[in-house]
Amino acid sequence: MVHPYIPNSRETRESMLREIGLEDIDELFVDIPAEIRLKRRLNLPSTMSEIDVINHVRAILSKNRSFTKMPSFLGGGVWPHHVPPHVRQIVRRSEFLTSYTPYQPETSQGMLQALFEYQSLIAELVGLDVANASMYDWATSLGEAALMCARVTGRSKFIVPRIISKDRLAVLKNYVAGPSIELVEVGYHQESGQLNVGQLDDKVDNDTAGVYIENPSYLGFLETQVDEIAEAAHRRGALFVVGVNPISLGLLKAPGDYGADIVIGEGQPLGNHVSFGGPTLGIFACRGEQKLVRQLPGRLIGMTKTLDGKTHGFTMVLQTREQHIRREKATSNICSNEALCAVAAAIYLVTLGPNGLRELAEVCAANASYLMGRLNEVKGLKAPLFKSPHFNEFTLQCTNGSVEHLNAELLSQGIHGGKSLRREFPELGEVALLCTTELHTRENLDSLVEAAKKAMEGKR
Amino acid sequence: MKESGYEVREGLYYTREHEWVRIEGELVRVGVTEYAQDRLGDVVYVELPVIGRRVKQLTEPKSRDMELGAVESVKAVSTVYSPISGTVKEVNTSLQERPEIINTSPYDEGWICVISPDDLKKELKALMDAKAYSEYLKKIE
Repeated sequence: MVHPYIPNSRETRESMLREIGLEDIDELFVDIPAEIRLKRRLNLPSTMSEIDVINHVRAILSKNRSFTKMPSFLGGGVWPHHVPPHVRQIVRRSEFLTSYTPYQPETSQGMLQALFEYQSLIAELVGLDVANASMYDWATSLGEAALMCARVTGRSKFIVPRIISKDRLAVLKNYVAGPSIELVEVGYHQESGQLNVGQLDDKVDNDTAGVYIENPSYLGFLETQVDEIAEAAHRRGALFVVGVNPISLGLLKAPGDYGADIVIGEGQPLGNHVSFGGPTLGIFACRGEQKLVRQLPGRLIGMTKTLDGKTHGFTMVLQTREQHIRREKATSNICSNEALCAVAAAIYLVTLGPNGLRELAEVCAANASYLMGRLNEVKGLKAPLFKSPHFNEFTLQCTNGSVEHLNAELLSQGIHGGKSLRREFPELGEVALLCTTELHTRENLDSLVEAAKKAMEGKR
Repeated sequence: MKESGYEVREGLYYTREHEWVRIEGELVRVGVTEYAQDRLGDVVYVELPVIGRRVKQLTEPKSRDMELGAVESVKAVSTVYSPISGTVKEVNTSLQERPEIINTSPYDEGWICVISPDDLKKELKALMDAKAYSEYLKKIE
């Protein structure tokens, strides 16, 4: 049978096979070990009419619950925020939407300018001089940051905090395995969650390429000893790398202003939907010093002037760092980026403005603060686990009962509770990570508290 | 000597990858040749070795421990290989601010680094003198 969407006929295929000297199409797959090849047809239902397909998919989609119908308190690296309709409207312009690797300056001035604006906005937000046109996500930015620290310093140790997203850590481990960079972990103070700076000081040595912290931390609290950590890193000639949720910078000091040499983070909350966890947007910025910028991974867009000196133009710069020129000696294996997500972030930041971003960060933090206070009223619950200031996420401890039980009860009452930390941080006991943003109404927050009360009372 | 159309200095030793070596007492000074700078075009950045680094003399097959750094022009990057095994003693920091001196003065101002050689006498045999290098240039042109 000739497939309606695959235009070559049996005759065409047979003549193509004859041309390359094969009898059967299966001979093309001899390189794949026989034991892992599927020897039957795919187990798929028979064909459906278009109407049947639409009805079938609709039935599946009807199982979805929207954020408004079913509030969710999940965060932990990807956070639900309002995406203003104008962001979508502009990003969907075909000039942005359909351009893949849109870097030819003679045809892509609009896209290049949008990426240049994105870089400028990120650099200003994090308090550094240069930002690249993005990486895939926070995790790949972290991996690239470790490699960059090693290249800049010629050293081979990278220090990470014990409190870190374990998904990010897994990607980092993957990145450093090849070039043999050793990861060294630094612990935290049990009461506050704050990094153990004394221990850090002992571990930073003359072979330490970089010291990494996350602020706000993965568990939502703010790291307050940033000056001491920067000092501990710099005293031994190591670079200081800070990972951020960019929304928090509406309220917090920019890491560049407390000594960060490299700032990375997750750009998804800037105008990009959660969408089941992606696509996301890796932020990557560094100080403007030559020896750092030369080692920066990824694409970099610069502004220049036309020959007559009258018009500004945009073009890729410092391409000699990159794979298509430097091959295996390139600063990174990633020559691509999340251009469309970066454009969305630029539109979002520009239209929100610095005051808008501050107000947004205030609402996110205020909601978390209110929710922590109210959850503490519930017997058997304690929030937060750590005595430290928090931004928009916090830990909720079940002092009586399990997170699994609590979340199951919440789910039955139409609420998606926090992320259980049992697998990532078994030493913390029964603890969940909750997130609040501007999307959570006062009713949402109160309904969680009421539902949690019911769940905890029902237990007894 | 300018037979090949490119300046080749008498008294220096040369590699097939277009690095030169000048013997200065116990030490050697290293740079890239007139031919190399001409082929690269406008040099915009030079990646220098770290002082104290151990390097090996260039042989085939090439490996990373034979690399001194890289010279970068607007559109290409070229690795600088070490003509002599030894320890890097000094680097030309002027290249950080003015990489273009590689173009204007490859044999003098545009030197790259100074190396303390392990076994100069033996390794010089693997290099070309000015005459041999000029012939080599004519052959590859």
